[in-house]
Amino acid sequence: MSDSKAARTTPASPIGPTAPAALPSRWQLPSWQLGLTLVMFGFMYLPVLVLAFFSVNESRFSAQWTGFSLRWYQQMLGDRRILAALQDSLSVAIISVIIASVLGTLMAVGLSRYEFRGKGLYRGISYLPLIIPDIAIAVATLVFLASLAVPLSLWTVVSAHVVFCIAYIAVVVSTRLSGLDPHLQEAALDLGATPTQAFIKVLLPELMPAIVSGGLLAFVLSMDDLLISSFTAGGGTTTLPMEIFSRVRTGVRPDINALSVVLILGSGAIAFMAEFIRYRSDQNRLNG
Amino acid sequence: MPLRGSRSSHRYRQTAHRLSSSRRRFLQLSTAALAGTALTNCARNLSTGGTSEQASGSDADTLHVYTWSAYVDDDLVQRFEEETGIEVIFDIYDSNETMLARLQAGGGSQYSVIYPSDYMVEIMMELDLLTPLESDRLPSTSDLFDQWQSPAYDPGNEFSYPYAWGTTGLIYNEAELGDVEDWDFLWDNQSDLSRQMTLLNDVREVMGMSLKSLGYSNNSTDPDEIEEAYEKLVELRSDINSFTTDGWRDQIVVGDLLIAHAYSVDAIDIIGENPDLQYVVPSSGATVWTDGVVIPSTAPNVEAAYAWLNYILEPETAAPILSRLQFATPNKLAFDKMPEALKSDVTLFPPDDVLANCEELGDIGDAADLYDRYWTQLTS
Amino acid sequence: MTTQLPLSPPPESADEGRGDRPPGWLSKLLGPLLLLAPAGVWLLLLLVVPTVMILELSLIPGFRPGTGTVSPYGLGNFLTIFQPLYLRVIARSILFAVLCTLFCLLLGFPVAYWIAILSPRRWRNLLLVSFVLPLWTSSLLRSYAWITILRPSGVLNGVLGLVGAPRVDILNTQLSVMIGLVYNFLPYMVLILYASLEKLDLRLLEAAADLGATPREGFVKVTVPQTLPGIAAGCLLVFITSLGDFVVPELLGGASSMTMARLIYNQFLGATRNWGFGSALSMILILAVSVSIALLLKYGDRDVEKTV
Repeated sequence: MSDSKAARTTPASPIGPTAPAALPSRWQLPSWQLGLTLVMFGFMYLPVLVLAFFSVNESRFSAQWTGFSLRWYQQMLGDRRILAALQDSLSVAIISVIIASVLGTLMAVGLSRYEFRGKGLYRGISYLPLIIPDIAIAVATLVFLASLAVPLSLWTVVSAHVVFCIAYIAVVVSTRLSGLDPHLQEAALDLGATPTQAFIKVLLPELMPAIVSGGLLAFVLSMDDLLISSFTAGGGTTTLPMEIFSRVRTGVRPDINALSVVLILGSGAIAFMAEFIRYRSDQNRLNG
Repeated sequence: MPLRGSRSSHRYRQTAHRLSSSRRRFLQLSTAALAGTALTNCARNLSTGGTSEQASGSDADTLHVYTWSAYVDDDLVQRFEEETGIEVIFDIYDSNETMLARLQAGGGSQYSVIYPSDYMVEIMMELDLLTPLESDRLPSTSDLFDQWQSPAYDPGNEFSYPYAWGTTGLIYNEAELGDVEDWDFLWDNQSDLSRQMTLLNDVREVMGMSLKSLGYSNNSTDPDEIEEAYEKLVELRSDINSFTTDGWRDQIVVGDLLIAHAYSVDAIDIIGENPDLQYVVPSSGATVWTDGVVIPSTAPNVEAAYAWLNYILEPETAAPILSRLQFATPNKLAFDKMPEALKSDVTLFPPDDVLANCEELGDIGDAADLYDRYWTQLTS
Repeated sequence: MTTQLPLSPPPESADEGRGDRPPGWLSKLLGPLLLLAPAGVWLLLLLVVPTVMILELSLIPGFRPGTGTVSPYGLGNFLTIFQPLYLRVIARSILFAVLCTLFCLLLGFPVAYWIAILSPRRWRNLLLVSFVLPLWTSSLLRSYAWITILRPSGVLNGVLGLVGAPRVDILNTQLSVMIGLVYNFLPYMVLILYASLEKLDLRLLEAAADLGATPREGFVKVTVPQTLPGIAAGCLLVFITSLGDFVVPELLGGASSMTMARLIYNQFLGATRNWGFGSALSMILILAVSVSIALLLKYGDRDVEKTV
């Protein structure tokens, strides 16, 4: 899961405003780069295809093809543990993202607005979750909760997830804030709006695309987190990654393959949605 | 309309300044308050054990069970729910130590029933993690076979009720390997078995296996013997595929593995999938273990816990569970109700002469540190 | 992130004019407190204090929960780390991270280069998004898929068997960990390198070509220096995240590849329960990560900070 950390730290859209011109014409040859890129595309999608292939394989063992069957999908849909884990994961991700969206947005706005001593420190701390390995965060949170004798539950997972969700949402919102016209708010204030009104009516709509795309990013990361959940979950809370992890370790049934395909399609849809929102807001910013 | 100019920027600086000092004070105060209460006691709180308070607001109709993978399935849970109306949520652990670690980390406060093995019952008793069982609320212990009337790990079955027993041995592919008789098979055929064998993810079982193969007790506290056992395992290490309690199952069925260190309950389950597989209790002796059921002292739902215990222990309801999940019971009445085929299965019920060399794991006191150190070295 | 954000005027300036708030220090503090305190308190409680706590635990030799004893402060845990056994674990983790970074760079650069410069322009966004799309899927499941491929009876051996090549036994070796790590981190490298290559000023290359430079010279003297910040950022990112990765070594590494993250995990949720030692290892990990970031900030281009 920590690997997904890296993606989050590059909020800059790949859809850049300036596309380069062409290479010098006499250097343009059919390139080996194309071949390698194709191979790498194959490399990236091979595991996904393998999962999809075996998810419709009749045999219990993902070793050879014995015939087409959808029974693993059926079995997965009837599996109470998987459904319960999915429910826990969704609860954790949704609650964490909602809390973190509010806190992270307020923080980003506050950081852009005020100067104070210790601001560097504050900002530094808020970005720590992007940098510190998950295992260290997980361990620290566990020690903290245990020393206060807090019984572990769904809520301890949520409170730990909010920490890294805040960081990601704040990063995305900050990027957006830095591209905003500072005079907009001023104008609103000049026209007699209260600061709260100006915030809600002017700033918030402007920030919304960033909040949503940051929130989606945080949502996916929260759904994907194994370590922090494992260390902070208790009392019957099992998130989907925890359930998958224990199944992968105890020997795998193909219903995990079916589950993977469903999850991949789900998160693929979310990914495209996030890219689309970001793309649209970039377009607006360029045109506006 | 306020002018943007020197005046407002001056005021802005003032605000910023005031903010900085109050912010700093706020930070200092809250850090001091939090850190003061939490930090100074951090180590002490932790050291006195993970006995966090009872989870508040726990649902009377929900029972959390923490168990080995062999003892529950959805079917059992469903039947119990139909009968009692209590919803059961179970979590699985794969070693006693993992279970204890989670409990001590505060992640166990919701569990009302746990299934620790013999020596772990002893450790948990010492750590004050268990509640004495009220014997009048459970099936009588007089129906148990003699050796469980008053087991050494818990005299009088005061804190635990014996639930299942078995051995720890080797499951192997007979078609490929022929007969396997003793632990030494692993060392003698090390190069042929290279990366096709797994050992349990359990410090006591793995060290115990090596100790037994050397002719020592698997409860040895003699540092020299323990070191010798460790050295012997180091010889094997480069050829061990992985240390896993459950992960060998599918791999041995499809032929990725040839031999695995396994619990008898898991072995019999897998032998059913592939008739080439055999289970053996090694002749130089192995572990014979008992998994008990206990109620932790933090159990939020003791009533439901007794309902569950009665359901799984009462011979009438226990027998179908035993024959479906296939494990050995220490209860005479439940044993009688098992199908003949299972009763005569030597994997589940090894003959007495095989059991003669076997030994239970007991609490080894301070030597546990030594075991742990060697275990870390072995698995690092 | 380090660039100065444009500052809006403090809301108080508008506020006081109408006098609908109590004047004085309270109203001046209200805005900043409202905006910054909630997240601040949350992070303080669940990030800063916990980190200080593991720092404290790391200084208690061999601390175990539930034993009722606390040994006096000391450096025992850190000294334990210097045993050859654990140094090997740390060295292995670092080696994995370095090799992974290297492979990601070698494989990722041509891909990013092709997408950013050589591919048809209108396809670029789509190509990039589809290349990093697998990132959005569960890292656990991606690693699990590699188990299916690499196991002795898996897809790889099935294909090898078809073409009559000898079987290979890769799963649960250091090689399988390497494959898994590169697979997981390659998209990040490509993403960052793309952002950097996209900004490449092609007129410079044109000029170089006009002056008679070969494509190779153009690449070495123009492209690489211009994208160096991106390369540095990508490498750092991949290095840091692969150093602390748990899932890949745990699932694909078997008994052969204990890494720092796995070792830490075992100290807390595994058999040994040595929280003091686990905390010390965590501190070392945090230290290693901080040092690499500090090095980058000191010697790297300012531009890089934005990406990291």
